[in-house]
Amino acid sequence: MNVPVERDVERVAAEQSGTAESLAADLASISLYLHVPFCHTRCHYCDFNTYAGMLGHRESYVAALAQEIQLAGMRARQSNGSPRRCRTVFFGGGTPSLLSPEQVDSLLHATRQAFALDDAAEITLEANPGTLEKGRLDALRALGVNRLSMGAQSFDRDLLRWMGRIHSPEEIETAFAAARKAGFTSINLDFIFALPGQSLATWAETLERAIDLGPEHLSLYSLIVEEGTPLFSWVREGTVHPADDDAAADMYEHAMTRLAAAGYGQYEISNWARAGHECRHNLTYWGNLPYIGLGAGAHSYFGGHRFAEERPIARYISRVRQSVAEGNTTADMLPAGAIAEDEAIPPELEMAETAMVGLRLNAGISRSRFAARYGRTFEQVFDERLADVREVRLIETAGDYIRLTEHGRLLGNEVFARLLPDSPEVPEAPTRVAG
Amino acid sequence: MDAAFLRNFAIIAHIDHGKSTLADRLLEFTGTISKREMSEQVLDQMDLEREKGITIKAQAVRMSYTAQDGQTYELNLIDTPGHVDFAYEVSRSLAACEGAILVVDASQGIEAQTLANLYLALEANLELIPVINKIDLPSAEPERVVKEIEDVIGLPGEDAVLASAKEGIGTQEILEAVVKRVPPPRGADDKPLRALVFDSKYDAYKGVIAYLRVVDGKLGASDRIQMMQTHSSAEVLEVGYFNPGLVASKSLSAGEVGYVATGFKNVKDCQVGDTLTLATRPATEPLAGYRPAKPMVFAGLFPVDGDDYPLLRDALERLRLNDASLVFEPENSIALGFGFRCGFLGLLHMEIIQERLEREYNLNLLATAPSVEYVVTRTNGEVMTVHNPAELPPPTEIDQIEEPLMDISIFTPARYIGTLMDLVQTRHGVFKDMKYIEEDRVHLTYLIPLSDLIIDFYDQLKSRTQGYASLDYSFARYEAADLVKLDILVNGQPVDALSLIAHKDEAAPRGRMLVDRLKELIPRQLFEVPIQAAVGSKVIARENVKALRKNVLAKCYGGDITRKRKLLEKQKEGKKRMKRVGNVEIPQEAFMAVLTLNDDN
Repeated sequence: MNVPVERDVERVAAEQSGTAESLAADLASISLYLHVPFCHTRCHYCDFNTYAGMLGHRESYVAALAQEIQLAGMRARQSNGSPRRCRTVFFGGGTPSLLSPEQVDSLLHATRQAFALDDAAEITLEANPGTLEKGRLDALRALGVNRLSMGAQSFDRDLLRWMGRIHSPEEIETAFAAARKAGFTSINLDFIFALPGQSLATWAETLERAIDLGPEHLSLYSLIVEEGTPLFSWVREGTVHPADDDAAADMYEHAMTRLAAAGYGQYEISNWARAGHECRHNLTYWGNLPYIGLGAGAHSYFGGHRFAEERPIARYISRVRQSVAEGNTTADMLPAGAIAEDEAIPPELEMAETAMVGLRLNAGISRSRFAARYGRTFEQVFDERLADVREVRLIETAGDYIRLTEHGRLLGNEVFARLLPDSPEVPEAPTRVAG
Repeated sequence: MDAAFLRNFAIIAHIDHGKSTLADRLLEFTGTISKREMSEQVLDQMDLEREKGITIKAQAVRMSYTAQDGQTYELNLIDTPGHVDFAYEVSRSLAACEGAILVVDASQGIEAQTLANLYLALEANLELIPVINKIDLPSAEPERVVKEIEDVIGLPGEDAVLASAKEGIGTQEILEAVVKRVPPPRGADDKPLRALVFDSKYDAYKGVIAYLRVVDGKLGASDRIQMMQTHSSAEVLEVGYFNPGLVASKSLSAGEVGYVATGFKNVKDCQVGDTLTLATRPATEPLAGYRPAKPMVFAGLFPVDGDDYPLLRDALERLRLNDASLVFEPENSIALGFGFRCGFLGLLHMEIIQERLEREYNLNLLATAPSVEYVVTRTNGEVMTVHNPAELPPPTEIDQIEEPLMDISIFTPARYIGTLMDLVQTRHGVFKDMKYIEEDRVHLTYLIPLSDLIIDFYDQLKSRTQGYASLDYSFARYEAADLVKLDILVNGQPVDALSLIAHKDEAAPRGRMLVDRLKELIPRQLFEVPIQAAVGSKVIARENVKALRKNVLAKCYGGDITRKRKLLEKQKEGKKRMKRVGNVEIPQEAFMAVLTLNDDN
């Protein structure tokens, strides 16, 4: 039996949650998310901002995105005029693997021009196993993409078909082998559990085949029935019955046990990794640190604002062109060219959000870092609201860290909901920006 | 008009036998309303009446009819409420008449309310004109129904008029029978005024409008009136008659039916059954038969949103202006917060009030299970009435509890006797009588606790007989019974709004059913929640709501933290709509669980 690698818990926590000492540097740099909204077909459960049948617009979209990166870099530059430090780049989608290597190159080129991209930056690209030929993988690796995230979703042929995925179980294995051959040493596989009709046994089998491939990182998401998807209408019509919470909990708990035994450390509610392979881009989200999301429908958190871009591709492109033509690059402008929604986050809410995303990490929240960030202790702000979940042991304090217990990990929402301010200083809905 | 040419009559019938349609035909035939103005159920003015196809408020209308004898008669038709909850109002309407048209469906024959109304008409000493309605239907068997009328009611069959109100068949024959057979009113204009109030309603401009029948004397438009029961007094604002709208006139004379605008601000001052006289020359004896409204069924009404409490109070006060039988007092429930304990004439009355509150006043309400009024004698000799289970004293302080019993009357095809007997027995009914009214039709009478009647007896009766049986009931008496209070404990804490009073032998099965239902209705919490049913300190049923295992967003949202937060805020909102009892969140449906308990599940 494999003994999980013992690691210095505090050191790992410090890497993941950050420390009071690293706070200033963390807040001064960004992560960059680039959205690629194209897909061959839409999966039945998907409610992301993606479009099928629009592949012909890739060229003009990429051109606009590259321009927007330049614009954002200018607007996000530091007060001394030098470009802002960027620590990670994430090509998300949609299906970024539908871009040609030349298109990826042009976006990375723009990024390097506009931001001070770390030499050791984590550069991730999401890929559909059905779209990865060998040549493309070699080219991406050569361009500096150093992490590949594959949407495997399942090894069950029937479930893949039911989800509307374009790939087979075998294609996952083929694509994985090809990625290894191309030199990718950090690969993530995404899986979805709690699918209708999925048994614990079929889920366990999917997990075994995933472990056999030996990826460095695994993301396991439970199926969420989202409004506006075909799945949602099936559930409403009663033709599809979603898995119940007990079944989902069983699958999740099985994954926790099995992956720990296989040497994967869980570092977030949905994420497991080999030591040192935690996704640094996502750690920016969980640390409630600044990130800039560019592309149709992308979300940013920068300068105390959360903002989102126009979702329709054509609208996004024309808004970016307009912004570039106006050429306003003053630093007080939000660093994006097609903003549709903008919400200023007041301090009370920011603390709640920091706690809400931070508690998703197994390491939890560093109390000293929290106090350094807000001038108030976590306990001062939240203890009263969390008394009952502390009593039933959903959260615990361990040294400098406050974290969910293992039992609490599946009940995170109960804790998170209590963190939110009661009568929101929050506006009802994000305000729409004209344009 | 000379009283010799006046005819005052009512139409009585079992529900759906065609009472309102027949009234429509009479109005049309006499030209009171032109065909163009005709809408269905002209006399049922409330939306609820039309929707439910029932009459809730009494209505009257004056018609002018030139008979075959060449004389022109003034006919006053009083349309009566059709439901047993309003039996007293019906009896007062009938007391205002000299005759009644008894409508019987040509296919259905005599039903429970036919008989109940017939008795009321006989008590009022009315001339009866049987009308066999709906003879145009293929299933009509007028000969059989005529024979039933002869056998059960003892009226000569040849007196019955065959009609189809829908097709307008027999309308003139009915009007002729009214003129020939209903006696003209007797009464003297020169005696002191005595007028019977058979209904009243509140009007924002004219105050309370009393619907009345002048028995003796004369009422003028500028008189000062005096109520003989409530002793309230007021200046008359207006008198007049119904056509069918209000038409003002100079006066109302003995024998006439009309209205008086009293200027009273509350119908309580001018209740159904009271006698109206003149303050200047009062009568000495009131008319017989007055009875103050007495609620029989009680339930707590709570606003779902606690902030609506003042709105609910205002709405109830407004409805009470128009409904003397509605009573309410503030109630404070630990589980449901502030609301009102309301008393109703019966379940239909309760349903109507609740619907009107929700519809006309836009309130979102939570009603507790209905209860009856118990008379409790405490060991110290004190006698108290209890209409809220939460108020029942502890068992050790109770000497005895009495509960209201009802006489019920069921008409049914003979093949359902077995299943009905089963039903009545499980509801503690005591058999009184069974009579064959035809080879295949039976009239059953029982004595049954009202508490057993109000749960879902009527629905059960209908479902067990495919809708063929009909039911009528009236209050019989109070009687001591073996009753206990059944408490529901959620996570060890009693929830007052879920308590109920049950017969001792039924406490255990009802407790089990309730606990089972609640287990389904109460969502899983952060910890295991025991749900117990208890009598005194003895737990008689228990189930556990298992602890919540999964509530987390395990999904990638590409940095859309706002979205995550909105979802959490939505969850938080959802919880706000539940009632927090101790540390357990209980959804509103749980408080209704008692209502949906029945023998089948």
